[in-house]
This record gives sequence, structure tokens and C-alpha cells, in this order.
Amino acid sequence: MKERVLIANRGEIALRVIEACKELGIDYVAVYTKEDEESLHVKLAEKKYRISDYKDMNDLLAVADEAKCTAIHPGYGFLSEDYRFARRVVKRERPLIFIGPSWEAIRDLGNKLFLKKLAKELNIPVIPGTTQPIFNEIEAELKAEELYETLNFQGNYNYSLMVKAAAGGGGMGIAEVRNLDELRPVFRKIRAYAKRFFGDEGVIIEAKIPYIQHVEVQILGSKHNEYVHFGTRNCTIQSLSKQKRIEIAPGFLYDRGEYGFDIKKIENEIINYSLKLAKYFKYDNVGTWEWLITPEGKYFLMEVNTRIQVENEVSAKISYVNNKQINLIKEQIRVAFGEKLTYSQQDIKFKGTSIELRLVAEDTKRGFIPLSGTITKFFWTPKPWLSVRTHVPQDKFYNIPTQFDPNLALAIIYGDSFESAKKRALEFLEDVKIEGTTSNGERLITNIEFLKEKINWLYKFIPA
Amino acid sequence: MKLDLHRKLKDLLDTATYIKDIKGEAFLNISLLIEKISEVYENFYQHDLNFIENFIIQVESEIKKIMDEAERTLTPYEIVKIVRHPQRFTLQDILENVYDSYMELGGEGEINIDPAIVCAKAIIIRKVRNDLYFHQVMVIGHEKGHGEEFRQGGSAKPWGNEKALRFMQMAETEGIPIHFYIFTPGAYPIEDYPGSAQQIARNLYYMTKLKVPTVALISEGGSGGAEAIGLTDMRLMFEKGYYSVISPEGAAAIEAKIRDGRPPRELVEKCAKALKLTAKDNLEFGLIDRIVPEPPLGARKRDYEFFKKLKLELIKATDEIVLQTRSLKFLRKYTLSKQSTEDFKFYINWDLDEDEIEILIENRWEKYKKMSQWAVCEPKNVIKSFFNFSRSWGLKFKNELKYRILKPSHKTFKKFLDELTTESSLLFKPVSDPVKTVYNLIVGKKIKSKIPTPILIEEETSPYRSPLALEDKTITCPQAEKYGCPDLWVPDLYGEYCGVCPNCGYHFLLEYKWYLNNIFDKNSIKPFNDYIASGNPLEFEGYAEKLKEARKKTNLRSALLTFEAKIGGISLVAVMLIGDFRQGTVGVAEGEKFIRAIEFAKITRRPFLALVHTTGGIRIHEGTLGLIQMPRCTIAVRDYVDAGGLYIVVYDNNSFAGPVASFLGCAPYQFALKSTRLGFAGPRVIRETIGQEIPPDYHSAENALKRGHIQGIWDRRELRKKLFTALLTMGGKNLYYR
Repeated sequence: MKERVLIANRGEIALRVIEACKELGIDYVAVYTKEDEESLHVKLAEKKYRISDYKDMNDLLAVADEAKCTAIHPGYGFLSEDYRFARRVVKRERPLIFIGPSWEAIRDLGNKLFLKKLAKELNIPVIPGTTQPIFNEIEAELKAEELYETLNFQGNYNYSLMVKAAAGGGGMGIAEVRNLDELRPVFRKIRAYAKRFFGDEGVIIEAKIPYIQHVEVQILGSKHNEYVHFGTRNCTIQSLSKQKRIEIAPGFLYDRGEYGFDIKKIENEIINYSLKLAKYFKYDNVGTWEWLITPEGKYFLMEVNTRIQVENEVSAKISYVNNKQINLIKEQIRVAFGEKLTYSQQDIKFKGTSIELRLVAEDTKRGFIPLSGTITKFFWTPKPWLSVRTHVPQDKFYNIPTQFDPNLALAIIYGDSFESAKKRALEFLEDVKIEGTTSNGERLITNIEFLKEKINWLYKFIPA
Repeated sequence: MKLDLHRKLKDLLDTATYIKDIKGEAFLNISLLIEKISEVYENFYQHDLNFIENFIIQVESEIKKIMDEAERTLTPYEIVKIVRHPQRFTLQDILENVYDSYMELGGEGEINIDPAIVCAKAIIIRKVRNDLYFHQVMVIGHEKGHGEEFRQGGSAKPWGNEKALRFMQMAETEGIPIHFYIFTPGAYPIEDYPGSAQQIARNLYYMTKLKVPTVALISEGGSGGAEAIGLTDMRLMFEKGYYSVISPEGAAAIEAKIRDGRPPRELVEKCAKALKLTAKDNLEFGLIDRIVPEPPLGARKRDYEFFKKLKLELIKATDEIVLQTRSLKFLRKYTLSKQSTEDFKFYINWDLDEDEIEILIENRWEKYKKMSQWAVCEPKNVIKSFFNFSRSWGLKFKNELKYRILKPSHKTFKKFLDELTTESSLLFKPVSDPVKTVYNLIVGKKIKSKIPTPILIEEETSPYRSPLALEDKTITCPQAEKYGCPDLWVPDLYGEYCGVCPNCGYHFLLEYKWYLNNIFDKNSIKPFNDYIASGNPLEFEGYAEKLKEARKKTNLRSALLTFEAKIGGISLVAVMLIGDFRQGTVGVAEGEKFIRAIEFAKITRRPFLALVHTTGGIRIHEGTLGLIQMPRCTIAVRDYVDAGGLYIVVYDNNSFAGPVASFLGCAPYQFALKSTRLGFAGPRVIRETIGQEIPPDYHSAENALKRGHIQGIWDRRELRKKLFTALLTMGGKNLYYR
């Protein structure tokens, strides 16, 4: 029987999956909601179904049954990291293939406390802090003192502490404690916040690392116990709410000595640790291991993203297998259907530098608030080193839907060296034109100026 | 002279009508006789005196003959009719005729917090030869008040029972005996502040240790309403009274599964017979102590002879209670035998001192413990019972030694040492240290508790898959329209979500096994006493088959499961009422198992947890034997709580009637899950009683919390965590892990 994939997503990733399916010769079915009727991925798909919401499992599975699909690709966002969806997809009377890791892996790696505990057992360094949620003040104070002493013992003076809601994420329910005297009131505040917003009173305490770089390792595993990596990426430049804005591969700048430590050694170590954890879990899909690097050359495992990422293409651009550029989405689908990798780590060669810029309609001066409105003009000059991924049509007006993130386009720039890539990125930013109006008639603002400014901060340690 | 005859004729007419009302029109030409009398009565002044005198003599003899025949063929349902007849005596008649002087407390007539309950201070005079002795008593009882609407036919509202409790406490302060009169068809089923069940449970809980002699007289003992003032040292019953778990009409409606309207008459009569609600049956069952004889076809308002006898019975009963706390057994017997005549030979003081009060309360517990034990069905095996007996004694001895003798002395010594070291540590250190070392060498190591610190580990529950979770389908949350919940996938709902809608928190029904597997630590459940089975003590028709069916369906022998278990390492004794077995109703077996479990918890100093999966009340097929479990279990609870135990009740689903109004409702710590419906009577009964529609959330957990019945509402997903916290934070220092 011919495989058929249900693409349970929208926008840029839906287009990428359609492209990959076409190249692999697999059937595909697209879904869309009321707001997305005009989108490109709906136009390109031959078979499409309208659903109520991209997050509605019942609708998606009904469509999968109706269209006789054999697999579901969740893309990123929406249901991609919901282990309940993954479980439900595989545990039905008519099971489907979930293009992603096993649901156990999604559940366990997605649970930050569990990951931290497990990493400690495997001797993988994690951010110093508690591994169990704390519910009462006295315990919190004891744990904080203990943590403070441990930090001092390790030679990390003047670190402040972070009090976090155990169930939180995305920058919500976090507060900094500079002085232990402040701990109790802050703890009480965060606990009340956690109870109100997440329904769980648990709070964890972690050390705050003052200066960081955010480096991640791209892993690919198959069902035949093969594990490879596609190098590292540097995603230090983020918006206020920890959303990535500029990504660059490779993760370290090799040819200039701005680091106070041995880059190659550190890179190897974080890659090896990532592979160790992937092997432990029998991780059989694409995944990203996110690490924090300090200026002193310390590194901590932060979290694991058990899905294809937005910035997958920067890794793909610099990775060559048998002198052919890799396509991670194609690999992901291939692996999910149980195929072998057909290459090993030795065959993967890295060449050049790739930068991804995310063009978003947001007001960077006013706390990165997302904007909506109509785009009247979207133009750039095509270049051989540039590829722009967008679901915004260039030939007519486009209304930005308010329900979703206002991501407009991804620009992937390739250069032989960091310097040339940076120059080309600036060239693109000067060239690109986005014009439009917001819903109340003002000029639509995008984050192009922010990107121009931040491009000079690449590969630098920034305050967390 | 003529007026006297007129009155006599009127009395005869009344009697004849009374007989007709009780026995029906077709009984021995009674209608004809009534016609005859009323004809003479109406044309009274046209007849001459002689004719009337002869007529009266003739009719009197005829009525006597009919009366004797009627008495001989009296059926249980006719007894129920006697009790409800407007000509039957009420509490007011007793107050006027039995007591020598009385003062009503809390208002006479309509202006009263609850006119259905009458409280009065009364004086009863005992005449010993030529001396008069005055006894003060408190009289509390239901007033049926025939023809008076506001009395509600003797159905006490919650605040009426609260008033009764208040005057019980008053009598306790003054140290005077209490006489209770039970004339109620049942409690008034409303859930106001406080709720019916809540207040009855409070009453029962308080009465278990009332420090004065109490006597109850039962004329109409209807279910929970009767128990609210019925836990006494001596329970007397009028010969033509009834004492039952439910009215025969109610039982018939349940048997015939009728939702609206009246059940057929034949079925009602059959139920009245099957419920065994007469005084004779109840005496046979050992639920009452004595029967107060009545004239044929029951005493009426003007039977002064009867009231005279009643007064004697009352004094004798109170004497007996008081004497039981005092003298030696043979002396007591002698004294009582001397009092059998109508004149009293001597005076007995009804005041009790401290020691006597202790004996009184102990006697009460012993008395109720023995009740209904003959009806317990358990396999009799000499070796096994001997083994059980010796085991329980061994356990008792070990725990007494451990907790009563060794641990307190250990604690006192430790406290002394602590004081020594903290207050004058510098000065006494050279002295105290060697003492401490020696003490630790001798005692400390031996007693040092081997109890590991309790920790709650999430993975420690056994992996259990609810049979409901096997289907691959989605269901819609019933509150989806209100909260916009997405459809739920069944394996998720009954697996990870614990049967709770993650969006709005609606609780779906779960089977009882889920609780057993998801609350307690892995492999820690050890059931005991599961060989005690529900029987059919009343030989209720058709009940044996129903029991068999329930047994087959659930593989259980009674609706109550008793077991030892652990939560986060804390060992506890738990019971669970299971809805699959006859709607979780309580009968003899359940009561007995409950008492044995709570006594076991008391001996081993463990916390006691009662989980209610569902309970539908007292099992009507076991009649009064089921009803008596209410006071029995409540006394056991009080005994346990006073001994320093921790008793926690967690309700779920439907929790109604008897158990909630007694041994569950009296717990100091009660919690409900969100899905709970808690109350005394169901919506249908309330509608029929108060004649109004009730709001749909009348029985919800929120309302129960609002009126203070429960102490908190829990989410089912957090049940294990909450219980663990409760075990750690609640309870006194008598628990084994403190």
C-alpha cells in the first residue's frame, strides 16, 4: 500500500513537508482552518480537508481515517510535543505512524524535572538546582542555602538564584532572587502564581547563570539503533520571551579565539553527551538537545526538543552527505517509516556557515508584542545564496491571522565563512521590503531593524 | 345522670369508629354497629333512660367481643395504622398525665424553632409508703400534634434536632436523667444549615457519651429521625408501636420501583409484614429492652390506667440504669425484684458520681456492641475462632505494652532529658551526657522506631488499567456546552485523567477498583474479615436471590471492604463502601465489619480511612437490624476518636441517608470529591415531603461545604497526594507514627 501522510500543521512547515513528500514520492493530505483558506499550503495540496482547529485531535484523526492516511506529521508547535496525541495516534484500533519520536520519549524528555533527574544519574551536567518540586517555605530555604553553598564550593561566586514554577515554561512564573533574604516572599509569590495559572503548587529553585550562549545539537536516530548528529547551532539571539530570532550554524566560531576555553573539546563533549542520552532512550527521530555555555567553558543541558525545529535548515545547509546537501524533513519521514540511514557519521561533512533570520511582524521596542494587519508589499531580490521560506503570497495582499504567531518568513543565508555569511545577511536585510498597515491604519512594523542591530552580536556571550 | 350516659355513648361511638378505621369496614359487621349506635346517639333524648342503659350494656359487650377478636387478628400493617391514628396518645398527653408537673422549653405551640420537637423540664413523683420523693427529668420527644399542621406530623427539622441536642447538654450539666419519646415517621429531609444528616450524626455522636441515664420510649420509630434521639441506655417500646428502617409505603415503592404515585395496598401490607417492625419482633431481635403493655388495639388519649402504668415503667427503667452503675449484681437483682409491685419499697437517688458515669458509658457501649451480633453470618470454626481470639489478644497486649507503657515513659524521660540539656546545658552537660548514653544503651535502641520517614513517591502505585479505558472512542463531556470542553478520548480519560475532564473538572463515574489501585502504595492492600457475609435475617421474600446476584456480580460478600493499606509508607486501616453491591447499602455484616476494623485501628494506633464509593443508606431488607448499625457504629467511632485516633471520611458519587447521618457524618474530618452528591434523602423524597421542586445542585459538594458538613472538596486526580498530606498534618500524638 502506498504511504499517505496527513500534514497536521500550517504555514512554512506544511510547505516543507509537502515538498519533502513530493521528493520521496509519498501521498499527502493537508488540513486547514477557516482563517487559512487563502494560504499557500492549501493551494498547493491536491487533497485537503477543513478542520476546526489545528489542535483538535478528534478532527485530525477523523480526517486521517477518512483520507485513509497511514501516518501523521505534526510539524512544530501545535500538537508536535503533546505525548497524548502521539500515544493516541499509535494506540488506536487503526494505528497510524507518528512522524516523530515514541510517545514515551516525548513524555519523559519533555518533562524538565524528569530529564534533570535522569541527566544527573547519567552524569550529564545540568543547571544546578532542585530536582523535586518544593511545596513549603522552610524546605525552599534549606534547599536554596544548600544550593548556594554548592555553587560557592564549585567556585561560582555571586550567582543569583531563579525561583520557577515547576509546571511553567516560556518565561512565565519565573523570578530572580539576588539575596537569600528575599527568597521567602518571592517563593510565596511564585507558588501562588503557579497555583493560579498551572494548578500545581510545585516550585523549583535553580542557579542563574549570568552570561550564556545558547547552543544546540541536532540529533537523528533511526529504528535500527543508528544515531548521527548534524553539528551544532547557535541560537543565542532571542526575543524577550525567549523566542529565537537569529540562528547560525555551526554553533561555535572556530577560527577566531574569542573564547576562553577549548572550543573543539567542549563541542565534542556536548555532542557526545547528547548522543549518550539519545541512545539511552532509543531515540528514533530528529531531536534537538539544547545547552547553555558559560564564558568559563562550563556547559549545562537545558532541555530536549522532541520535534523538527524551525531552524532545522541551517544545519541542513552546512551538512553534506556524499557531497549532497541533506534535507532533515525528508530524513525524518524516511526514518519514521522504518528505513535505514544508509550513511554513518563519517560520511557527514560540514562546510560553510548558514544564518537564519526570522521576519516577524512585532514591535520590538514595546516588548515584542505581536502585530496583525494586512501586508501590501513583500519583496526581495532573489540571490543564489539566499532562500526565503514564506507562506505569504508576493502577488497579492495578505491578512495576518490573529490566531497564530505572526511569523512572516524565514530567510536562510549561506556563506563560505562567517564573515561572508554575515555580510550577505546584512545585504538581504537592506534589500527586503515589507510594507503594510495594521488593523487600525498605522504602518506595520517588523523586526528588521532589530535583526540588523543584533547580527553584530552573533557568537558573543550575552547576559541571560 | 343522663349527661353521663350521653358521654358514654359518645365514647362507644368513638371506639367503634376507631375499630373501623383500624380493621376496615368489613370487619365483623362493625359498620352496622356504628350505624346502630349513631342512630341512638342522634336521637338520644327521644329514648327513655332504661332503653339507653340496656343498649349501652349490650353494645359494650359486643364491642368488647369485637375488640378481642380484632386484637387476636392484628396484623403489622394495622399496628402501623394504630400508631398513626388521630385518637392515639401524643407526647402532650404523656406530659400531662405521666408527669406531675412540667414546663415546656422553647415555646409552646406554633411559636417555636421547631414545633415537631418538644423539650420540657418535668417532675415525676415517687411515693414510698407515706413519703414523697421528687425526681427532676428532662423530657425530649416528637410531638405529632394530631390536626396541627405546623407540627409536620412529628418530622423533626435539623434545627429541631439541634434544639434537642442543646437540652441534652443542659440536662447533662444539671445531672438529671433524660426521657426520650419517639413519635416520628422520619426526619424532615432538608439540607439547610445544618443538613438533616449532618445534625442527626452530631446528635448521635454526642449521645454516645451522654453523662446521664437515658430512657427512650418508641411509639413510632421511623428510620433516622428516630435514631436522632434514640441512642439510650434503655429502650422501651409501646406494645402497639412500630420501629422500622423505612415506612411500609416507602419500602413498597422501592420494591415495586415506583417513581410517582402510590404503591398497591397488598404490597404495602406485605412489606409491613416482611419488615418485622412490631414491638414483639424487635424484642426478639434484642434491639429493645422491654415492651410497655397497652390495652387492646392500643392506648388512646383517655386511657388513664395506661398512663399510670407507664409512669411506673419509666421510674423502674431509670432505676435499673442507675442501679446497674452501682451495686453488686445479686443486690441489684434483689432490689429490682422488690420493686415489681405498684408501690415503691424504697427511694433511689438518680444522681451519679464520676465513677458511676464511667460505668454508665461503658455499659452503654457494651450493650450496643452486643446488639444484632447474632445476625452476623460468618463461618463458625472452633479452631479458627480460637486462633483469631488469641491473635487479637496478643495484638492488644503487644500494642498496649508498646504504646501505653513503653512509649509514654520513653517520651517523658526524653522530655526530661531535653529540658535538662536545653535549660542548663552548660552546667549539667557532664552529668546528663553519661545518663543519656546509658539510657540509649538500655531503652533507646530497643524502642527506636523502625518506621521509615513517610515519603510520597508517584510511581509507587500499581499499574492498573480501568476496564472502561479499553474502548477506542471519544465521548463528550456533559458540561461541554457550558465550558467548551473538547471531546475526550476514552483511554486517556479513564487512564491518565483519572476520569476527570481536564478542561472543566467534571468527574466521570469510575469503578471502585480504581480507587484501590491508585490511592494506595503498590501491593500494600491486605483485606481482612472478608468472610463475613450479608445474610437475610428477616427472611425477606426475594432478598436472598438479590444477594446471590450481587455476590456473583461483584465477587464480594458484603458491600463494605475492610483492609490494611499504606499511603506513602504510612500504614492505615481502611474501609470502603462499594456501590456495585446493593448500592452500597449498610446492613448487619457491613456494620460488624466496620466496628471490627475501627477497633483494629484503635488497638494498633493507626489512622482510619473510610472511602465511600457510593452508599444508598441502610439496607431496608434487613429492617431494624440494619438501622441499629447507625448508633452501633457511631459509638465505635466515638470510642476510636476519643482514644486519639485519626478518622478521615472521603465521599464520592452518591452518598445518602443512614450512614451519612451516623458513622460517616460524625467524623471530625470529612472530605468530598467534586462529583459527590451528599445528603439525607434523594430529590424525589424531598419533593414529596416539602412539596417543592429542589434546585439541581441541592446535594452538590459545594453546598455541603457551604453548610459546613465537609471540610474540603478534593479533585480525584490529587486524591493520593491530598490523603498523604492529611495523614501527615492531622491527628494527635497517639498515632503510631508520631
